[in-house]
Amino acid sequence: MASSSCNSFSEPAIMEQIITEFFTKSVHIILESRSPYVSSRNYSGEQFISSPSPSSSSSSSSVRPRHQWFNLALGDCPAALENFDLWRQSNLEPLVIDVVLIRRPSRQHHVLQSPNSSRDQFSNWTSGQDEFLQDSKSEKIVERWIIQYESRSNGSVIRESCPGAKKSSGGNSQSSESSAMYKKTYKKSIIMLRSLYAMVKLLPAYKVFRDLNSSGQIRPLNLSHRISSFAEPFTREEEADMNQFGFTPVDTPCGRLTLSVSYLMKLDDIRSETSTPLPTQVIPDYVGSPTTDPLKRFHSLPSSLPAYASFSRRHSWSNDHGATPVSQSPSPTYSNACVFRANPNSRVPPHNHLRDNAPSACSVPNNASTVHRKNTSFDEYWPSPPFSPSTSPCPAMQFCNDHPQNALLRTESAPVNIPLPRHGKNYLQNQGLPPSPSKAKCVKPGCSPRVDIAKTHISTSSAAHTSSPEGKLQAKKELFRMGDMHTDIVLHKALSLGKDETGSLSGLKISSCTSPRLQFSRSSSRLSFLDEFDDSEFPCPFAVDEDIIDSCNRIEPLDRQGQTADYLETTGLVTARKSQDAAVSAIVKMLKNAPPLRPEPSRQLSSHVIKDETRTSSMERNSVAEVMANPNSSASVAGMTTSEFIRSRTVADAFEELRGFKERKDLLLRQIGSQISESPSKDP
Amino acid sequence: MNCEVCQLKELVVEPFEIREVLRCILHTIVFHRALGLVRPKDVDSELFEITYVQCGDAELEKKIEEKIDHFIGWVDKHPNRKSQVCLSFYEVKSKQPTWFSNKTERLHWEEWYVNLHVVNRKGNGKFRQNKAAVDHGENSVEERSSRRAVLETSLRDVLFQIIKFVNERKDHIPQVSNSEVISFPYEITIPRLNCIFPIKNK
Repeated sequence: MASSSCNSFSEPAIMEQIITEFFTKSVHIILESRSPYVSSRNYSGEQFISSPSPSSSSSSSSVRPRHQWFNLALGDCPAALENFDLWRQSNLEPLVIDVVLIRRPSRQHHVLQSPNSSRDQFSNWTSGQDEFLQDSKSEKIVERWIIQYESRSNGSVIRESCPGAKKSSGGNSQSSESSAMYKKTYKKSIIMLRSLYAMVKLLPAYKVFRDLNSSGQIRPLNLSHRISSFAEPFTREEEADMNQFGFTPVDTPCGRLTLSVSYLMKLDDIRSETSTPLPTQVIPDYVGSPTTDPLKRFHSLPSSLPAYASFSRRHSWSNDHGATPVSQSPSPTYSNACVFRANPNSRVPPHNHLRDNAPSACSVPNNASTVHRKNTSFDEYWPSPPFSPSTSPCPAMQFCNDHPQNALLRTESAPVNIPLPRHGKNYLQNQGLPPSPSKAKCVKPGCSPRVDIAKTHISTSSAAHTSSPEGKLQAKKELFRMGDMHTDIVLHKALSLGKDETGSLSGLKISSCTSPRLQFSRSSSRLSFLDEFDDSEFPCPFAVDEDIIDSCNRIEPLDRQGQTADYLETTGLVTARKSQDAAVSAIVKMLKNAPPLRPEPSRQLSSHVIKDETRTSSMERNSVAEVMANPNSSASVAGMTTSEFIRSRTVADAFEELRGFKERKDLLLRQIGSQISESPSKDP
Repeated sequence: MNCEVCQLKELVVEPFEIREVLRCILHTIVFHRALGLVRPKDVDSELFEITYVQCGDAELEKKIEEKIDHFIGWVDKHPNRKSQVCLSFYEVKSKQPTWFSNKTERLHWEEWYVNLHVVNRKGNGKFRQNKAAVDHGENSVEERSSRRAVLETSLRDVLFQIIKFVNERKDHIPQVSNSEVISFPYEITIPRLNCIFPIKNK
């Protein structure tokens, strides 16, 4: 078989396969370190087994996973390489890979160009006249790789080299010799490809590739590649700048595999340009800006999100408006974790993951290659997307981070038109709630913040202070001195509470203050508290229902019997705030009277309350005891219904009565004391 | 079988540069001789703008680091000297056991000599408390950077030398007899004072 194949100047089947895979592997190695959209640098890999020797069986070699050929696992073969297989018709044609450095014209071009060597560097650059390019670009071949299989056409050489042509006594020896030959060829191919892999990392173009890969900034330069079956000869000047290196050919039974590279020796000046990003500038007249589109306003975040996306997307390629070739319009299927996905119509900025974009990136060359395929030629130019730094992991995100307009972007994402008179626009946003117009409308002015403040201080005061009434009064003083506390802090504190009495108190408070229409969830997540309030009827979690306000108003006068002057901020408050304050005070009291989770403080509280109780009704006493009997049960706290609310109200009432009794008692004692002081004078 | 010897170009290094230089060179050599299934690992050198390739074998990496540590320890005791690190590949052959020899012997088929001239620059930088000291310090920084650039170029040349040697000499490589990543046994030899027995790795 081998002899017949060699006599027809063709390699055996297995050798043909080795040669074919050698071409593919070479292309893969080269493009992986020169073209980011083919690179599988983020190949996570899978556990692979050692590949069998090529001579074991032809069937096993054909079944071998492609990335394991030549024992060099490079990851999955991108779609571009698969297209290469379709294009590649014959191993007899040489394979020429040109690594091209593209220089994009920009407004800042004159800034980047130094008067000295850069101009010389680019003096012999050719201006691209590719039909797919809408604007002229300068490109320079920095590397040329030539992979070739040379078939020995001399009959005598074939007789000498091809083992199959030798006359042998038995078929076994012939097959063993062939097997040895294949093994040797395969081994040498492995070594050659190892050398190729190491070499591509050492050449100057790799630094450019790495710089473009790592940077998230827009660069004026970009690396691309061009695969063809013929090599356009260099000019004398170009050849003078180039260095040549040829790998030792690998002999095959009927030919040999050769690999050589011509590379530009000095790329330092070009690298300096790659390391110099384009200077940032503010573009005031971007499409969609208020200046260009005054009717466009950011009403709320959801509606403004596409605008934000388009705005930020615009800036990702702001330096070259319209200077985008048709072939470089990326597929909208780019996987992109950025918000830019929200606007698929605009051009996608560079990808955020090389591997993820490999398939989608190949959709671009696929479109182009389809056209070329008709011409049965692979003279295809695979440009990189125009404004990509060609490989940053998430250049759009990095652009957001690095671009000076980031601040502007951030501010534009913020505006939420919520009519809160006291607290800023960021009221709901800072609370971690998705702002919505409905919430903005339903917020009761001045009501919720107080509730938040109360919540905060309840959580802090009950944790800090003892259950003594003096401590609670002090806490109340602090509470109302807080004034306009920022609500996000409140929310944060409220939500960050662990399973302690403060948490239970906050939960109790919410349940006590919620409208009976709401169903309080027993979810352990603290944010579920807010979710429960995400209701069209009651959108604001901190708005107080009318019933609550009434109950708060009822409690309020009792408050004034005690040290009420300090409790209420009467100065400068309007009537609405008064009721709000009353509600807050009522809630404060409820929370203070509510049983804590910890048994000891609750017991103290309960004992204290019961101690001072003199004339409370048995009903109230039972209600108090019942509430305090389950201090640690968050379910009982969380699942308080209207009846429990009534009980807590009863407790509050009881407390108020207790105060009244105290005062009366004091009064009586004073009276008795005065009587006693008078009586000794009357005795004889 | 012939033993191919490759004397690599001598590198002038400072003690703190030894590790990176040896890493680049040793891993590059072993990568070309690890003919098993390899998932290459690109490593950017910490000191130089050079990316070299490792086999991705943890055991190999560990052994190389150990040898580098030994060599650095030796250099600390023998400063400002030229030295060699030898990486050799061998075959294990069985032979007739005798009273004073083992049953197996090692036939080295390839030896790589990494020539290093370790120079300690600390003695040259004496800082004085005057203006001259500042200038001297600045000059030392500039000198160091220029030396670093020269070393980087030389190291790159050494790596090219390895690639060239590996490509030119292939016929002496024995057949692969296992499916391991490191196809051939190897040993890394570091010089030892008054010791003629090399440290054998495998």
